[in-house]
Amino acid sequence: MTLDQLQSGQLATVRAVGGKGALRRRLMDMGLVRGVSIELVKAAPMGDPLEYLVRGYHLSLRRAEAQLVEIESSAPSA
Amino acid sequence: MASQVVKIALAGNPNVGKSTIFNALTGSRQHVGNWPGKTVEKKEGRLYLDGVDVIVVDLPGTYSLSAYSIEEIVSREFIIHEHPDAVIAVVDAANLERNLYLVTQLLELNVPVIVALNMSDIARGRGLTIDAARLSAGLNGTPVIETVGSNGLGLEALKQAIQQAAASREQRRAVIAYDAVLERELALLQNAIEAIPALTQRYQPRWLAIKLLENDEDICGRAVTDDALLAAARAAAERIESETGDDAETWITDGRYAFISSVVSSAVSRPREALETTSDKIDRILTHRIYGLPIFLLLMWLVFQMTANVSAPLVDWLDAVISGPLTRWTAALLGALGFGGSWLEALLTEAVIAGVGGVLVFVPVLIALYLAIGVLEDSGYMARAAFVMDRVMRLVGLHGKSFLPMLVGFGCTVPAVYATRTLEHDDDRRLTAFLVTFMSCGARLPVYVVIGTAFFGASSGSLVFGLYLLGIVVALATGWALKRTVYRNKPPQPFVMELPPYRAPRLRDVWRQTWSRTSGFVRKAGTLILATSIGIWLLMAVPTSGGAQFSAVAPEASLFGTLSKLAAPVFAPAGFGTWQASGALVSGLIAKEVVVGTMSQIYTPGTPDADQSEAPNLLNDLAGIGSSFGEALVLTAQEVVNIVPRTLNIVPGINMAEADFLGAGDQADDTTALEAALTQNFTPLAAVAFMVFVLLYTPCMVTISAMRHEFGRRFVLYQIAYTLMLAWIGAVIVYQGGLLLGFGG
Repeated sequence: MTLDQLQSGQLATVRAVGGKGALRRRLMDMGLVRGVSIELVKAAPMGDPLEYLVRGYHLSLRRAEAQLVEIESSAPSA
Repeated sequence: MASQVVKIALAGNPNVGKSTIFNALTGSRQHVGNWPGKTVEKKEGRLYLDGVDVIVVDLPGTYSLSAYSIEEIVSREFIIHEHPDAVIAVVDAANLERNLYLVTQLLELNVPVIVALNMSDIARGRGLTIDAARLSAGLNGTPVIETVGSNGLGLEALKQAIQQAAASREQRRAVIAYDAVLERELALLQNAIEAIPALTQRYQPRWLAIKLLENDEDICGRAVTDDALLAAARAAAERIESETGDDAETWITDGRYAFISSVVSSAVSRPREALETTSDKIDRILTHRIYGLPIFLLLMWLVFQMTANVSAPLVDWLDAVISGPLTRWTAALLGALGFGGSWLEALLTEAVIAGVGGVLVFVPVLIALYLAIGVLEDSGYMARAAFVMDRVMRLVGLHGKSFLPMLVGFGCTVPAVYATRTLEHDDDRRLTAFLVTFMSCGARLPVYVVIGTAFFGASSGSLVFGLYLLGIVVALATGWALKRTVYRNKPPQPFVMELPPYRAPRLRDVWRQTWSRTSGFVRKAGTLILATSIGIWLLMAVPTSGGAQFSAVAPEASLFGTLSKLAAPVFAPAGFGTWQASGALVSGLIAKEVVVGTMSQIYTPGTPDADQSEAPNLLNDLAGIGSSFGEALVLTAQEVVNIVPRTLNIVPGINMAEADFLGAGDQADDTTALEAALTQNFTPLAAVAFMVFVLLYTPCMVTISAMRHEFGRRFVLYQIAYTLMLAWIGAVIVYQGGLLLGFGG
């Protein structure tokens, strides 16, 4: 499962970060590493980009970028 | 002791209150420029501590020190090559984990680090408590000083820490212990590096080994060219991957964040239930699925109003003072010195004063722009603007944040060029600035109106609308084409972006930035504008036929007229191959609305200039300046108030009739004689082609100067060549196409 498939409010744990070069580096620099938990907050008005909550801050990713992050979904946080 | 100079760098993530600390440390002793050869702003300030002269360099805000953005490269190179005595890492307590990531990289560079733990309102709002002593211990004794940006708390302690760091130059190193396999390979590489003195002189061996394993773009092949070492690094990385199943880059990032997690868990206590902050509540509305877009458009509309209308009364006032009293006094003074009516008078009043005025009238515009942008950025909304708009702007290869410069471009291209500073990546910035000139600015409107009314009367409105639309289409098409040619091989910039917490903008910081950026424009762009102004005056002053006198020559007999005649045939295929038309276009380089003025000068000569004949009266003038300044302030206030009815009257969008820049309305006052002359000299079809040319061709000299200031000479040359070519092709297509379709005659 990848990060773009989360529902709003759903929590997940990062398993691996794909992609390459600048994009992959940037994703990891922003704290998306193995084992970190991440929540989808919402999508932008036009459905893309997406807003996540990770390590206590809000991070925005395009759908195409979120697809590169493999996750294990946890139980819904509600 | 007195001569000791200490160099301190200020590092930190964006939006952590770094500039507040910079301002608090250095006060007004600041200098703002660009990093050499980069479009990244460099801020430097000074501070005196007990006879020690401290230079504080504010590094660009970055999340990391990898080498993928100019900001990161600039910061890293400064630390490696300029050897600051210490780096203050400003860290937001609300967001400790991600903030400490940069700190771990600074520590690996083996530079003395002082952590300024900024307790933002947000951190307190979340109920976080942080044990600074434990944090310091976790970071191997790196000094940690609590600061509160909003009230200056901790500033004295920070200054003491600077003095201590400068005195001892003690290097503290938090060695992050990586995975065992990684450590084995790092040790091997470190040995290989230590055998090469050229490298050890410049770099910390362990840091370099880490960078080699990370396959850092800037290090592998550029800083390190030793083939054996590079091969060893590749072999090491391959061994790591085959033994562990993961690549070295992943292991290194994991290692850093694991280190951070252990430090943070011992130093931070947070409430069991995560509190919903005010920021979260605000965000639910501002990026709401339905309200998000209208709110975005409304805010952008307000910025447009600020730059196009609110600043206009002060622009008009400055313009009036400069072209009226200031010019009169200069003429009177020169007259008293015996230079009355000489070429010197003409040079000073027509070229120098007009040129300086041409720079100064942009000051209110830029102040309005930078204030508006500053508030949007500092409050945290600008990132949301990108979030909301990205989907649309991406279609033409632009970033969500490109929308604002594009919109500002309908008012004036100059602030639009500077508005590209809100974009983070250089490529995005350049592409946006390149396209912004096709947004038809307010100064082009009087040209359309005068020519349009002359030929098409009441129905010229839809023609003007069509021209605006054409500009947008050309910008989109250019963006689309550049993305597939010039930028074809460049990977798209990652959008990965923090949405910082909302907060009340710190107006003092916003104002300081506004002022330093505006004065930067006056200093940097001003010289070129003045030079161009003098250059064009010279063209008009130098006679080319015998008998005429320098600076007292009819346009036709000047160098300007001669060059215009030479250029005229080029425009024949577009239907306006006369020297008058090409001359008007050349003068449009000063400012696009000048096209109308020149045409009226050439086609209807002999209209006396009322202003010049008035006898100068110092007292009257001074009183006039004072009262007109008062009026301008009132008008400014009126414009602010007017935003409300204007916004309510129309659907948020572009209202072209409102965009009246640089008092262009003044010049459209008495144009009936000009209109008659125009209908004799142009066919309606040629007039349309002419307007298309005015829309698309080379931006005015102030825009050119602004672009050179921001992006350098090469960029400007491309821009000029492209716009000239495109304008010519556009005009020819309109004219020839029109002839084919039978609109000629």
